[in-house]
Amino acid sequence: MLLSLPITRACWRDLLAALLIALTPALALAAQSNVQQSPRAMVSLVSEYAAVSPGQTLRIGLRQRLAPHWHTYWKNPGDAGSPPSISFDRAPGVTVGDIAWPGPDRFIIGPVASYGYENEIVFPMTLTVPQDARPGTELALGAKADWVVCEKECIPEEGTFRLVLPVEASARPASDEIRAAFRTADARQPQASPWKASVSARETTLQLRVEGEGISQASVQSALYFPDSWGIVDHVADQALKIEQGVLTLTTTRGQGYTPGPSAGLLAITDGGGQKRWFALELTPAAAATITEAPSTLPLWQMALFAFLGGLILNLMPCVFPVLAIKATAVAGMSGGDRRAVRLSGVFYTLGVLAAFMALALALLAVRAGGSAVGWGFQFQSPLFVAAMCWLMLAIGLNLSGVFEIGGALSGAGQDLAQKKGHAGSFFTGLLAVVVATPCTAPFMGAAIGSALVAPAYVSLLVFAMMGLGLALPFLLLGIFPAVARRLPRPGAWMVTLRQAMAFPMYATAAWLLWVLAQQSGEAGLRLALAGLVLVGLVGWLVGLHQQRAKKSWWPRGAALAGVAGIVGLTVVLHGAEPVAAAASTQSAQAEPYSAERLALLRAEGKPVFVNMTAAWCITCLVNERTTLSSAAVQQAMQDSGVIYMKGDWTKRDPAITAFLQSFGRDGLPFYAYYPAGKEPVVLPPVLTQAIVTDAFKQ
Amino acid sequence: MQAFSRRIMLRTTVSMAALLLGAASAPALAAPVIGQPAPAFTAVDSKGKQHSLADFKGKVVVLEWTNHDCPYVKKHYQANIPALQKQAQDAGVVWLSVISSAPGEQGHVDGKKADELTASRNAAPTAVLLDPQGTVGKAYDARTTPHMYVIDAKGVLRYAGGIDSIASAKLEDIEKASPLFKTAMQAVVKGETVAQATTRPYGCNVKYKS
Repeated sequence: MLLSLPITRACWRDLLAALLIALTPALALAAQSNVQQSPRAMVSLVSEYAAVSPGQTLRIGLRQRLAPHWHTYWKNPGDAGSPPSISFDRAPGVTVGDIAWPGPDRFIIGPVASYGYENEIVFPMTLTVPQDARPGTELALGAKADWVVCEKECIPEEGTFRLVLPVEASARPASDEIRAAFRTADARQPQASPWKASVSARETTLQLRVEGEGISQASVQSALYFPDSWGIVDHVADQALKIEQGVLTLTTTRGQGYTPGPSAGLLAITDGGGQKRWFALELTPAAAATITEAPSTLPLWQMALFAFLGGLILNLMPCVFPVLAIKATAVAGMSGGDRRAVRLSGVFYTLGVLAAFMALALALLAVRAGGSAVGWGFQFQSPLFVAAMCWLMLAIGLNLSGVFEIGGALSGAGQDLAQKKGHAGSFFTGLLAVVVATPCTAPFMGAAIGSALVAPAYVSLLVFAMMGLGLALPFLLLGIFPAVARRLPRPGAWMVTLRQAMAFPMYATAAWLLWVLAQQSGEAGLRLALAGLVLVGLVGWLVGLHQQRAKKSWWPRGAALAGVAGIVGLTVVLHGAEPVAAAASTQSAQAEPYSAERLALLRAEGKPVFVNMTAAWCITCLVNERTTLSSAAVQQAMQDSGVIYMKGDWTKRDPAITAFLQSFGRDGLPFYAYYPAGKEPVVLPPVLTQAIVTDAFKQ
Repeated sequence: MQAFSRRIMLRTTVSMAALLLGAASAPALAAPVIGQPAPAFTAVDSKGKQHSLADFKGKVVVLEWTNHDCPYVKKHYQANIPALQKQAQDAGVVWLSVISSAPGEQGHVDGKKADELTASRNAAPTAVLLDPQGTVGKAYDARTTPHMYVIDAKGVLRYAGGIDSIASAKLEDIEKASPLFKTAMQAVVKGETVAQATTRPYGCNVKYKS
C-alpha cells in the first residue's frame, strides 16, 4: 500500500537526507559498546573510530566512569586491589594488543596505598582490522572484563561487552566525547625517559637517582615513583624529593620484596605549571653507591680479576693487531740481547700500558666530573682524534718502511743510552697499544666498565689498571720467562723484511681510520685529513733525508718544521669541524633509525623490536652487521617474526643513544637488545651469530 | 666475557645484599623481618580468651588477616581457606585469624558474630583474634585481607605475604595460582627453609582505625 503512494523523486531525496541525519548520532554511538552500570561505575568498550577501514590499526579501550571517590587500578595496584583484566572473543584476522597502561595516581588510605585512577579512565589497546574485511560488513568484537572498584571497600565487578564497528572504505572518527576520553587517558600515557636512572639500596631505604638535562627546581614541582611490580618500594611511604641542577633524587622506604637488580617503573613529575607527566624509567643498580656503603674486598677483587681477564683477551682483538705487530718486532729485536734487557723491556712496556690506562681513567673521571655524558670509546668520536691517529699510523708505517729512523742520532751514543732508548721505546709501545685498543675494550668489558665508571675513583682506577696488566701480560711473560724469549728466532736480515712487512698493518689501520673519519665529518674532514697525510709523508721523507746526509744542510730540517707547522694548522681547522651524520649507505635498507619515542610506541603497539646500536668506529659492530644481521637467514627470521629492526648510530655521540645504553648500564658498543612483544628486553652478546639472533626471536 | 661481567655484577650485588641483610638486625624496622623473632602480641579471641604469641612456643603459628565482607577473603573462604585450616589442624599448626577492622568499618565483628561466621563457613581456625585497635595488625604491618604470616616453633618469622600468586577476586584463579602460603606452611612444618619467604600480599586494604 505504502509503495503505491505517489512519492515524487524530490520527496525521496528529502526522506533519504532526513534518514541520514537521524542515523548519524546512532552511528557515532556505535563507537561504544553496551554500558555495564553499577552505583559505582559505568563501564564500556569504546573505539576511536565509529567506522573502520580494511587493514586499519586503531585503538579501542575499556572505559570506566567512576562515582566520586571510587578508584580502579594500575597494573601494579599498590597494596590492595587488582588491575582490570579483559579477554576478547574476536573474528579471525582481528588482533587486539595488550593494555597500554596510563600513568596512575597514588591514593593513601590509612597505612595502605593504592595505585590507580579516579573519575574517568580509558585503558587503551591496539586493534587491527583484517586486510580482507569488506566494506559494508561489520566487525563485531566480544569482550569479557573484570575489575575491582574501591573506595574504602572493594567491589569486584565484571561485564560482557559487544562492540560493533561497521567496515567502510574509509574510517570515520568517533564522537568528540569518546575521542576526548581517549585524549584524557593519552595525557597519562608514559613517555620514554630521556634521563639516566639508577637505584641504590640501603638497609631500609631505597634511593632513586635520575639525572639529565631539564631537571631543575623550576621544572619539577613534585615527583613520585611507581614501580611496575610489587615489593620494590613501600607503596605508602613518603618519597622525599631533592632536586639539584640536573639531578633528582627520591628517597623512600625499601619494599618487602626488594631484590637487587634492574627494575622498571614510572616516574610521575608535576612540572612548574602543575602539569603531571609520566616517564618510563629503567632503573639500574648504582654499583657505586653499594660499594661505598659496604666496602667489601671480595666483589672488588672479582671486578679486578675480570678486568684483568678482559685486558688479556684484548691481545686477540682485531684492533690490537697492529700493536701486536709492533710487539713482535720489538721482541724479535731483543732476542739477541741479555735477559735483563728483555725483562726490563717487558716491565717498561707494562708501565707504558698502565700509564695509558691511568691517563685514560683520569681523563674519563675528569670529563665525567665535568658532567658530560661520555661513553667509553668516546675519543674515537672526535674527528680530530681520529685524524691524528690516522697521521700517527702513517708516520709509524713510514718509519717501519724505513723512510726515516726514530732516535737514529742516539744510536751511537753508547750502550747505556741505547738501553734507555729501548726502554723508552717499550714504554711508548705500551702507550700506543692502549690507544689503539680502546674501541675494543668496550664490548668486552661493557658491564664492568659501566659499573666502574659510576664507582668511586679508586675503583675505576683499579679496574683500569687491571685491564692494563691483562693487556701487558703476554709481553711481560716473555721477559719473566727467558726460556720463552730464548726460543725466539735469532736476529738477522729477516728482521728488516719483517719490519717492512709490519708497515702494512699500519697503513691498513690508517686507511680504516680515514674511512671512519669520512663517516664522521664527511668530505670536508676527509680533505683536511688527506692534506695532513701528504704533509706527514713529506715530513717523514725530509727527516729521513736529513738523517741520511753526511753533510747536514739547513733546508730539509727547515722544510720539515714547516710541514709540522702545517699539520698543527690542520688540527686547528679540524677541531672546529662539526661532525656530520653517518653516511646513509651504512644504514641497511629496512632498518629504522633509533628513537626512544618510536620504540615506546612500537612496544605499546605490542610489536617485537630489535635494537642495534652501532658506530662507524666500532669494528666489531660492523663485523656483526656484515656476517650476521644482514645475512639472509636473520633477515628472513626478522620478517617471519614481524620484528621491527631499529638501528642507532653512535658515531657522533648521540645523547639519546648514550642514555639508552646507560639504561642498560653500558658505556660502549656493540650493543644489541631484543624486545619481545609485551615482554622485558633481552640483551644479546656483543659477538653475534645467526643462531643467537634467530633463537632470540623465537621467544 | 659478557656472561662473566654480568655474573660478577650479579655476584657483587648479591653479596652486597647479604651484607646489608646481615647488618639489618640492629635497627628496629616498621615491618617484621623474615628470619627474626616475630613481634610479640597479646589479644582477646572471639570467646573472650586471651592469647599471647609466647603461649604457642613449640608450635608453628599461622596468622591470617581477615574481613568477611572483602571479596578477596570471600573467594578464599569459598574454596581454599577452610581446607588449609584443616590441613594445619592435622599438622598441629596453630591458626589464628585476626580481624583488625575498626568499629564501624567493613569486617568489624563482635565475638558472637565471629563464631557464627566460623560455623557458617566451615572454617577451622584455632582462634579468631579481635584487634579493633589495629595493634597486632600494625605490629605485623598487615596491609591486606588476606595477608598471611607463618611463624616457626621457635617464634621466628618464616613467611609473610600473599595466600597465592594470582592477585584477583576470581574464584577460578585459585587453581591456576601457585599456592605460596601453603607451600611455605608445609616447609615450616617440615623444618625446611621457605624458598619464597616474602611475597606480594593482595586483597582489600585492612580497615584500620583512622
